[in-house]
Amino acid sequence: MRVSSNTFPDSLVTQLGRLSAHQVRLQTEAATGQRMAVASDDPVAMRRTLDLQAQAHSVAQYQRNIARQEELADAVFASLKNLQKVSDRAGEIATLADGLKSPEQLRAYAAEIDQLLHQAVQIANTTNRGDYLFAGTRTDQPPFIAATNADGQVASVAWQGNATVPAAEIAPAQALAIQPPGANSSGAGPRGLFADSRSGADFFAHLVALRDHLAAADVGAVETDRAQLARDEDNLLYHYGLNGALQSRLEAAAAGMSGQSLALESSVSREVDADLAQTLVRLNETQNAYQAALQTGASMLRLSLLDYLR
Amino acid sequence: MLGLFGTLNLGARSLQTQQQGVEVAGHNLANVNNPAYARQRLQIATSNAIPTAVGWQGTGAAGTAINQLRDTLLDRQMVAELSVQGSLAARQRALQFAEANLGERIDRNAVGTDAAAEAGGVGSSQGISDAINGLFAAFQSVSTQPSSLTERQALLMRAAELTGRFNTVAARLSDLHKSLDESVSADVSSANALLAEIARLNDQVYRAETGDGSPANDLRDLRQQKLEELARFAPIELGEGPGGLNVSVSGQLLVQGTQVEDTIELYDAGGGQLLVRTATGSQPLNLTSGSLAGTIEARDGSLAGLRTALDASAAGLAAAVNSIHRTGFGLTGATGADFFTGSGAGDIAVNAALLADPALFQAAGVSGNHGDNQVALALAQLADSPRAALGQQTFARHFGAAVAAVGQSLAGVNSQQTSQQAVLDLLEARRNSVSGVSLDEEMTDMMKFQKAYTASARLVSTIDEMLETVVNMKR
Repeated sequence: MRVSSNTFPDSLVTQLGRLSAHQVRLQTEAATGQRMAVASDDPVAMRRTLDLQAQAHSVAQYQRNIARQEELADAVFASLKNLQKVSDRAGEIATLADGLKSPEQLRAYAAEIDQLLHQAVQIANTTNRGDYLFAGTRTDQPPFIAATNADGQVASVAWQGNATVPAAEIAPAQALAIQPPGANSSGAGPRGLFADSRSGADFFAHLVALRDHLAAADVGAVETDRAQLARDEDNLLYHYGLNGALQSRLEAAAAGMSGQSLALESSVSREVDADLAQTLVRLNETQNAYQAALQTGASMLRLSLLDYLR
Repeated sequence: MLGLFGTLNLGARSLQTQQQGVEVAGHNLANVNNPAYARQRLQIATSNAIPTAVGWQGTGAAGTAINQLRDTLLDRQMVAELSVQGSLAARQRALQFAEANLGERIDRNAVGTDAAAEAGGVGSSQGISDAINGLFAAFQSVSTQPSSLTERQALLMRAAELTGRFNTVAARLSDLHKSLDESVSADVSSANALLAEIARLNDQVYRAETGDGSPANDLRDLRQQKLEELARFAPIELGEGPGGLNVSVSGQLLVQGTQVEDTIELYDAGGGQLLVRTATGSQPLNLTSGSLAGTIEARDGSLAGLRTALDASAAGLAAAVNSIHRTGFGLTGATGADFFTGSGAGDIAVNAALLADPALFQAAGVSGNHGDNQVALALAQLADSPRAALGQQTFARHFGAAVAAVGQSLAGVNSQQTSQQAVLDLLEARRNSVSGVSLDEEMTDMMKFQKAYTASARLVSTIDEMLETVVNMKR
């Protein structure tokens, strides 16, 4: 083929341009660690990566939801422990109050029970991040209101929450409710912690009755109160068990999400990341080719017939 | 026999011819870097011989023509391929802008809307898809703490970020659409100017060649250059006519010899869609290549598809979220409010009342139940819910498909452009091998003519000496 004066420079410029573009691409891969960044680099991989990122966002959010639910479960557990202490002491007093105790001793027990009542109301109105823990979904107001008599004793405890509990998703289509409602008299739905029609628990009413019977030295009635408190205790144990089961489920869900997160990272890495060793080797090859093109090009461009004409 | 004077004339003619040869070589040298130039050669022929007693005797040589070395087939191929190149370049440029305007870029080290996801090492796409994911994550967060004003505030910020990105991308794509319209308009003007230029050059070539019939090489070079420029805008068909080259586009004769028969113009084909037709025609030109075709194809194809998908995503999201949100109750007991306002990507926005007071976000399914999260949860679950209006895809997947579609188009054009460039490089190299100037050749030619000139001068001086000898014979 005949070679004109511009054939060689044009060809050299084209070759250098190609090599430069290749170097830029490889250098970008080496600097970012990514073989692709925009859709046109690899449209299919881009699509898959966007899907994977959407999944990763979901997983990250589920992990946050799980952490929040764990926090709630811990708060409920702490309340259960405190309530257990109150329940234990009330049961103990009901057991101690037999016919051998003097009316004065029984009145002292009654006074202690009244304090336990106050303590139980306080536990029932526990808040977490500003929300009442056992109010169902009416979290903006105390679920239990204690009415006191002229002596400052708790005369009755009124329930103003509801039996609906909010559930949060810990996995796709898996919503989990952690906190029990304070009371549930409907016979359906989650069991109430302080009062529940199915288990016969009504902690506040039973404590009030116990206190009043102790104050009246009605030992026979106290016997009945003890049996009722046993039902409250059983209900409390049920919630202990439920809380433990929920915590286990949250732990399992957290472990599952953690594994999923790692798998997603690995999948994204496969789609997006550059093989650094391969990239650097190719960059080196391209640099060598670029250098060779420059060197040979420069030496050829320097040569001319003019150099040999006088 | 020529005689001394005849031979002197022969020498003089030879001097003239060699000088002309040097001049042609000089002209070639001067145009070595002119890409439109085709090298020229002085055609030398022996002068008319005269009969003598011993036979026909030559009278030397003279330059008969200056020819340019061109391969018409290559030139025509170049015109056709430049047209394809023009189309691909225009599409590539438009799609590159579209992809850039979309702002979807995978960055494994970026800090986006979701720090936890980045901690998971998947990075961020820093675009609308990232913001869509962020919005649904925020709905989830609110569902875990429905009464929390902090979570509500965070949700509304995420939603505002998403609508902001929708608005920005929609505005950019709208601007790109306008730019492409302007580009088509500018190309039409340039093409019409070139048509006039080609007709004028046809006229000049015709006039120059009418006299002695010798080719107007430089004018033909210029005309070929203009034809190639025109081919970048539209696919042209060429034909030889009595007045020079005829130029047609899609079968419509635009230049006939020295006359511009018709021009091309932009017109609104309805709905603001600008298309190209001839000034005397009513139907759009069927442009198969050239930058006009490429720009229109990118504008009405990939870009329009992207804008439709973007609007569908925004409108679908607003409709789905609003229909659920309206049924909920805010912390103040308010109900029935929309979460988003607007009807498409360009004007979607978060309800200003909610932004002003996050307590109005209607997360609860029951009035007065601050801890109720039914609506927030239902909104969060939209993330995984396929939408009939989006081809049974989720919002994130639908948008991802639109991004991938643009990427696919651009990747396809990039690939075609690379192979087309290779074709053009090959044609250019072929054409250079025929028409390109070689300095070495021209220098050699120059020396060749110089030597011949010297030799001719020696002939003249020899004849001069002979004449002097003859004249001195009388003394």
